[in-house]
Amino acid sequence: MPGIVANFRELDRLVSAVRELQRQRLGDVTVYSPTVHHELEDVIGAPTSPVRRFTLVGGLLSASFGYWISIWTSDYWPLVTGGKAIASWIPYTIISFEMMVLVGALSTVFGMFINSRLPKLVLDVGFDPRFTNGDYGIYVQCPPEKERAAQELFGQHGASEVRHAR
Amino acid sequence: MATMAEPVGPMRPNIASADIQVPAIKDFEQVDREIGGTLSPTKAWFMGLGVAMTCLGIGIAAWTFQIYAGLGNAGYAPPVMWGVYIITFVFWVGIGHAGTLISAILYLFRAGFRTTIYRAAEAMTVFAVMTAGLFPIIHIGRPWKFFWLIPYPNWRLLWSNFKSPLVWDVFAISTYLTISTTFLYIGLIPDIAVIRDREKNPTRRFIYSILSLGWKNTDREWRHFTRAYLFLAAFSTPLVLSVHSVVSFDFAMALTPGWHATIFPPYFVAGAIFSGFAMVWTIIIPLRKWWRLEHYVTLNHLDATAKTVLFTSMVVGCAYLVEFWVAWYSGVKPEQEYFWNRVFGQWWWAAWIMLICNTILPLSLFSQKLRRNTAWLFILSIFINLGMWFERFVIVVPSLSHEFEPWQWTSYTPSWIDVSLLIGSFGWFFMWFLLFIKQLPIMAIIEVKEIIPPRRAAAPAHGGHH
Repeated sequence: MPGIVANFRELDRLVSAVRELQRQRLGDVTVYSPTVHHELEDVIGAPTSPVRRFTLVGGLLSASFGYWISIWTSDYWPLVTGGKAIASWIPYTIISFEMMVLVGALSTVFGMFINSRLPKLVLDVGFDPRFTNGDYGIYVQCPPEKERAAQELFGQHGASEVRHAR
Repeated sequence: MATMAEPVGPMRPNIASADIQVPAIKDFEQVDREIGGTLSPTKAWFMGLGVAMTCLGIGIAAWTFQIYAGLGNAGYAPPVMWGVYIITFVFWVGIGHAGTLISAILYLFRAGFRTTIYRAAEAMTVFAVMTAGLFPIIHIGRPWKFFWLIPYPNWRLLWSNFKSPLVWDVFAISTYLTISTTFLYIGLIPDIAVIRDREKNPTRRFIYSILSLGWKNTDREWRHFTRAYLFLAAFSTPLVLSVHSVVSFDFAMALTPGWHATIFPPYFVAGAIFSGFAMVWTIIIPLRKWWRLEHYVTLNHLDATAKTVLFTSMVVGCAYLVEFWVAWYSGVKPEQEYFWNRVFGQWWWAAWIMLICNTILPLSLFSQKLRRNTAWLFILSIFINLGMWFERFVIVVPSLSHEFEPWQWTSYTPSWIDVSLLIGSFGWFFMWFLLFIKQLPIMAIIEVKEIIPPRRAAAPAHGGHH
């Protein structure tokens, strides 16, 4: 969807522009920032990332699998040693732990990719290479009748550059 | 035009920036320019790469000869069947530990001094574990059978013995390599996007585009990235402590004098962090000088790392003393004789290299003047690396050469193949490291940007940058 892109040089101008955009509800907003800023997180107010669920499920399943594979293989072909337990949970905790870390961490990465929609083969309409260097940016996807309002809003909030993106 | 920028409320400290000041870094463009500038190859870099590849060539030649002539040429004779290969394996695993400590544990503890050194330390971890992983393969003598190390059932569905420390080792090392590589790469993605957008060469730009996965710095990406990074750090923290504990089990589970001790896991972990920090100095001190990045890795940062080294040195020293005390207090004759033989007998020279390098020389770091003297830190790092290699020598060789039966007591001398493969391991490690630093940023661009105050139109509402 076409929209308006604005570049900002200053963080506080960006934050106030985002706040005003949310108040006026001109369209879907994407904010670009060269690094993480808590001020932006606060003003965007997005819910907590669901990546943690991927972590939890991956970690629990793989920890269980680690115990299961070591206990099952011990019972399947018992190596009987002097009255010791055939399946011993203490050493198998190491296997379970390593499996939990391995799969839990990879699930986290998978969850991040899914939720961030990565990898992307083409760059987005609103993207400007300056957003990875020093500039902040806002891309608002809005219908043509709201474009003028968006441009005025960005101008009032001190955008260094405002343009159409299609 | 009148603008409507409002003062933004007090800045909440970012994890990367909790206690760090880098006043000489002014803005984001300076960060991109100066860190991006490290990617241009120089004459010194080519020379360094040449030296590393020569060392690697020596190692490859020795290994080829060993495969042709047999493992018997490696200087092993019963009962000393572990020597330089296992010593070097433990040494390189240990080197890797500081990288994960700096990148993950200090991240969780909000230790800001890690920010400018963690990328180098993390890369060091990956390459050190890659180096360590070669040695069990070299040590099996028939490297084409390496896949026997991987737990899988044989044709009669007999699985590997999950109670064996060697199987734990395979799980621990392979998990560690996978997770530290993943952690390094995930942290690199936004930085690769920065390099991608600055790159003029179309081929390199295309490669960076692929590696950056189309990253664009959107709020959505940052939201999930920060959460994922936090969880990866949380996973890496117990992992780093467990890996060297598992490596120590290779020794502690055996009924051999000097090995069968419950102190081994914390003793190994402290030693690993100690040696890893020393290797970080060996790498980062020349780099900050060559690239004139002293305002990124400041003396305050090195001072903080020096305090960590001093602390871990004292932990290691305490572990040495506890080992002696346990041997004396146990009343077990072979254990007592072993420790006497280690320090005052056959292996006194190795033990004293270890003790002087690891416990006496680091005491100099009580002096703030020396903690902030980069030349001394570099020299000390070499001594610590030497001392920590000899620590593993002192653990492996004296135990095996002086077990329970006096008729078994023997000596051990590394062969030229052992020494060549040790040299080759340094060549392998530094080759990868040098290739890394010319393709990817050696400092985390996005985290350095986090620690400098962002541009503002109005003064902050409640005080400035922390």
